[in-house]
Amino acid sequence: MNRREVLRTAVAASAAAVLPAQQPEPNAKLATTAADAVAVAKPRFFAEGEFAALQRLGDILMPAQQNAPGAAQAGAAGFLDFLLGESPVDRQSLYREGLAALNEQSRGRYGKPFTDISGEQADALLAPLRQPWTYQAPSDPLADFLLAAKEDVMRATMNSSEWAEAVSGRSRSAAGLGLYWHPVE
Amino acid sequence: MASSPDVLIIGSGASGGMAAHTLTKLGIPCLMLDAGPAVDFERQRSLRAVYDLPYRGFGRPGRFPHVTQANEFNGNVWADEKLNPYTYPENDPYYWVRIRLMGGKTLMWGRASWRLSDYEFKCKDHDGFGENWPISYADLAPYYDRVEPMFRVSGRKEGLPQLPDGVFIPDESRDSVSVQRFLASAGRMKIPTTKQRRATGQLASSVNLLLPEALATGRLTIVPNAVVREISVDRNTGLANGAHFVDRRTGRDYHASARVVVVGASCLESTRILLNSRIANSSGVLGRYLFDQFYIKSVITCIVPEARGGRAPRGLMGGGGYIVRFRNLAEREKKFIRGYAYDFGSGGSPAPGYFPLYGAALQKELADTAGAGFGMTTMGEVLPRHENRVRINPELKDAWGIPSLHIEQRYTDNEYEMARDSMHVADELCRGAGFEVLAKHAQMVPPGESIHELGTCRMGGDPKKSVLNKFNRSHDVKNLFVVDGSSFVSGGSQNPTLTILALSMRASEYMAEKMRTREI
Repeated sequence: MNRREVLRTAVAASAAAVLPAQQPEPNAKLATTAADAVAVAKPRFFAEGEFAALQRLGDILMPAQQNAPGAAQAGAAGFLDFLLGESPVDRQSLYREGLAALNEQSRGRYGKPFTDISGEQADALLAPLRQPWTYQAPSDPLADFLLAAKEDVMRATMNSSEWAEAVSGRSRSAAGLGLYWHPVE
Repeated sequence: MASSPDVLIIGSGASGGMAAHTLTKLGIPCLMLDAGPAVDFERQRSLRAVYDLPYRGFGRPGRFPHVTQANEFNGNVWADEKLNPYTYPENDPYYWVRIRLMGGKTLMWGRASWRLSDYEFKCKDHDGFGENWPISYADLAPYYDRVEPMFRVSGRKEGLPQLPDGVFIPDESRDSVSVQRFLASAGRMKIPTTKQRRATGQLASSVNLLLPEALATGRLTIVPNAVVREISVDRNTGLANGAHFVDRRTGRDYHASARVVVVGASCLESTRILLNSRIANSSGVLGRYLFDQFYIKSVITCIVPEARGGRAPRGLMGGGGYIVRFRNLAEREKKFIRGYAYDFGSGGSPAPGYFPLYGAALQKELADTAGAGFGMTTMGEVLPRHENRVRINPELKDAWGIPSLHIEQRYTDNEYEMARDSMHVADELCRGAGFEVLAKHAQMVPPGESIHELGTCRMGGDPKKSVLNKFNRSHDVKNLFVVDGSSFVSGGSQNPTLTILALSMRASEYMAEKMRTREI
């Protein structure tokens, strides 16, 4: 057993002992950092309430399937926290204001934040996603946000290593392999 | 300092590459300057997993606001807008898509290879708008005949006057049943169709089809990372005598001398160089008559019902083709002049955004429609107009201190009417084939996005109304040639690269003959 394998085994063992039951089982690969394996990272861009709402939204938009992970297992919300932190201001506003509107409507209708309402109640708030497709973005900012989130959550999930691991038997493209151009200098 | 070459070629893409190929084979020593470095394909490209990329395939946010073709895999190919800025009117964005690498945009082109016809070369004769080219199809046909074998263009002959046949690797592939149904629908509507005509091979590029043979003659010297500032002119003779350039990496200034200067830096970069050089513009139309081809990406997205649920019988799905321009050929039949074409393809999977669903219901629908899609894209002719133009923006300079371009192009009613018509026809075609129409729209991409920018340095018989003569030679500067898409007078709906290659070959042979007889 080489040094890396020793480390991997040690981290996996300690993570299994520390992680709460609802977390997916740590897979064989090493987590990004030792801290990632044993602790929950705090969001950097979103406030905690926003982040919780985004996680809940991710669970609804992209739930786990029989043979593939969902947004939660793929860490989609955490990735989007990173992506939005680097995004242009208008994109950041779309998300911030969209999540705020979602929570506001949830509180207005049900007296609870989006994270705490039932699935049925959440579906009622997501009515804009059941509107027929149009080329133009909707004028309602919440609808605009929801459509963006639907696309981003799905993409973040399907471009994750967890997804690739689950579907790699299907095809090379399903596993997300592509020809990468390195910087040319 | 080495001895001066006979010809200085600016740009290494389709037009510059073809000029080098043609001239060196005729025995003429050439020096080629390109603004970018060369790509080592073995070392600088590799297979990677999307989850290993820093942004999971999303790409760095805001890196390419005007390059919709960019993704995280190919992001390092496209020219950086911060280093290479430009401007446009506040509410009329122009998407200028550039590659600054050896080989230019031939590194990434779609390889679609269509000839123009006299419906384009003699467009004014058909509908009275604009200007005819100073050449006819018969003038360029012999060059198309030679370019197509070099680029190994596959296709099927149809005998259509609006889309002349070429020297093809015959495409005798069998159409899938869904494509056959679509073709039958087109036939009932009397709309002509054909196979795609495309250069074969993954990389039918200047760097593997043109430059190696030119280098093998021993007559071509290539200087990469040479950003041309302006063309220099002999004050006594009025002739071009070389170019000033900046080394991209060191910032050092150089001057290269030559007997003849060929500009093939890509449509708008070539015009920018000429404008910055303050030459070749006695007509006042340098920079004017900018146009391109508008695209309506996924003008229609359909589902082939029999292919739902993964139940497609073998041979039902797959393949595609091309719908040839059919509007306004014999007579004016619509509220617009000219026409449009379509690409179509069978067997894709409709994007999630088309379905008014989410969660498990969406996943179920996506699984049900996987591989059952049928889509079309419109490519429409954009009219060249005097008011659509580029000019130098003296306030804005690139990373090498060279003044940038201000670009103004707007679509007009002709393009909007054409776009709407194409959406309705697409709908009729697909319904006629028995497909479920999932989505349709008539939203053209912003000007420039098709990467088919044309005009601004157009050719013509009248020096008062054009910049170049019928051999791509400047009316004003007799030893200056511009051989890329900037020379186009009109563009039809056909992808322009094949015509650029043919024009460059023709201009280069003319140039060689004039050099042989010492006329230049």
